[in-house]
Amino acid sequence: MDILKDVNTIFIDVLENDDLVITRETTSADVEEWDSLNHIQLVVSIEKHFKLKFSANEIRNWKNVGEMCDAIALKLSA
Amino acid sequence: MQVGDKYQHEFEVSSEIYNGFLGIFNDRNPLHTEKSFANAKGFKDVVMHGNILNGFVSYFVGELLPTKDVMIIQQEIKFHSPVFLADTLSFSATQSAIFESVNAVEFKFEFINKTDNRKVAKGKLLIGLI
Repeated sequence: MDILKDVNTIFIDVLENDDLVITRETTSADVEEWDSLNHIQLVVSIEKHFKLKFSANEIRNWKNVGEMCDAIALKLSA
Repeated sequence: MQVGDKYQHEFEVSSEIYNGFLGIFNDRNPLHTEKSFANAKGFKDVVMHGNILNGFVSYFVGELLPTKDVMIIQQEIKFHSPVFLADTLSFSATQSAIFESVNAVEFKFEFINKTDNRKVAKGKLLIGLI
């Protein structure tokens, strides 16, 4: 499974930006539409898509998309 | 607030609500204001604005949930059948998910018209607990 590719698709859908290409280094500062309310929708969509649940503590320290993807991979491998 | 929690309420589409919506938003499309036009389109009377139902959804979120610390993050609604003046709608909402990571809950809701027991609309809500 290409987690980054799936996450990119989720970002495009939630942020309604068909041209958006994210990398592991992408942060909210790089994407205009990635505001606090859209962040909630992004996390909800990720939890639904990958059929997993995060805690508030688990997502609090994500610094970029790469750390988000690593957390997803860790959950999926558990 | 737990998954499976269910909330129910009845809303009447009163003349006060209809006229208030017309007066505030000024959507006077003839489907909503001219009986002859609505009849010609196959409706028995003028059709109420669909977005009146969104006002009822707002009431549910703001007034019927057990906490006032709420904010709508996302809302979807699909309309299935028309509503007419003085119809009474039975609203029900069921909590379908909780997202502890972002302090949000999801509800699925529907409106049933008590006049003919038809489903009027259904939708989903994502609510942030602020």
